Amino acid sequence: MSAPSLATLISGIPSTLGSYGPVLKKIDAAMQSPQCNLVTLGEAIEIDPDLTARLLRLANSSFYGFSSRVSTVTEAISLIGIQQVQDLILASSIVERFSGISDEFVSMESFWRHSLACGLTARLLAMELRLPQADKCFVAGMLHDIGRLVLLSEAPQIALEIFTLYRQERLLLREAEQRVLTFDHQQIAAALLKEWNYPGSLIEVVACHHQPLLAKANVQQACAVHVADYLVHALELGSSGEAYVPALNLKACEKIHFHTGMLSAVIARIDEQIEAVEDAFLHSVQPS
Amino acid sequence: MPNLKTELLREGMVVISDVKNLHDMLLIPAGAVLSERQIGILQAWGVADVEVEHSKATEETDPVAGLSEETRERLQAEIRNRFWDPDDSNPFFVELSKLLLQRRASKVTVNS
Repeated sequence: MSAPSLATLISGIPSTLGSYGPVLKKIDAAMQSPQCNLVTLGEAIEIDPDLTARLLRLANSSFYGFSSRVSTVTEAISLIGIQQVQDLILASSIVERFSGISDEFVSMESFWRHSLACGLTARLLAMELRLPQADKCFVAGMLHDIGRLVLLSEAPQIALEIFTLYRQERLLLREAEQRVLTFDHQQIAAALLKEWNYPGSLIEVVACHHQPLLAKANVQQACAVHVADYLVHALELGSSGEAYVPALNLKACEKIHFHTGMLSAVIARIDEQIEAVEDAFLHSVQPS
Repeated sequence: MPNLKTELLREGMVVISDVKNLHDMLLIPAGAVLSERQIGILQAWGVADVEVEHSKATEETDPVAGLSEETRERLQAEIRNRFWDPDDSNPFFVELSKLLLQRRASKVTVNS
């Protein structure tokens, strides 16, 4: 079977935001208004009770670690920031958009567990190491392997060929992708995010997570996601199909001043936060 | 030498390498005999674990020390085989392998 081009792979994926579209449009409209304030933004989000419950659950979890209880969406926005709230909604919309993929090669529950763990670890590293835009690291970590979902949903026959080669020849999954396609899941993700008009900074981090030093404007964030991916693989927090813990680029650790003495504390924080983040993004919310 | 989780530390254990916080500030120097107050300081700073001298007390609290040699070797091999590039000159691999062994050992201890 001939390998599809990057453009063919992403052409069948709708650019709509699914059930989150109306909320994001309302937020956009509220932000355009001269009367925009926290209350109008809160009202825009509250049209979706499921999203409201998820947001409050996350705001009250160890992920943010606020000292007092956050009980309204308005409070959550004032503490977290509207940009981060929008990022969280976009990330949720992507989980929704790729739902329904067969578990034949990768369990979707396991895929999203890996992705969320990578996102929260990249954010933790960025916060501990005082890197800029720590919250952007969460979204980049969460989307870093989204190219694999494109393969599984849009080209299952090619995915079968890749997984067969990977198992037979004891390769890294990324190497098998390159052999079959001449490109890998990093380039697929970058092409898709570009098509969806995501910010260039996010695209660069996702596109370079295996070779973070190739990033130009966002090299520290790319290094944070690279190290996070290594740790999350090692801790067996979900899987995006790769059975091995990929190689760690030590220069990436140096670039963000991450040292071995920090490993234990970072792992303890990951263990603390993973459940809360999974609850907010993956599990259905029961109406109270 | 065992790395013990902070909550498992006991008064009288001997610290064998400097304990620093995330800002590289020295909290407890190597060689110190731990007091209750020092354990409190480590907990307050969120230090997850500390390298201490092997003793009867560590054997009782460290899940790895409680493993048979055969089980420890099996777990170590399982961990190593999961890495694409298990390089013993990579300090992250070495430290992470130690921490992963403790995680696996805790599960073995809980399940046994």
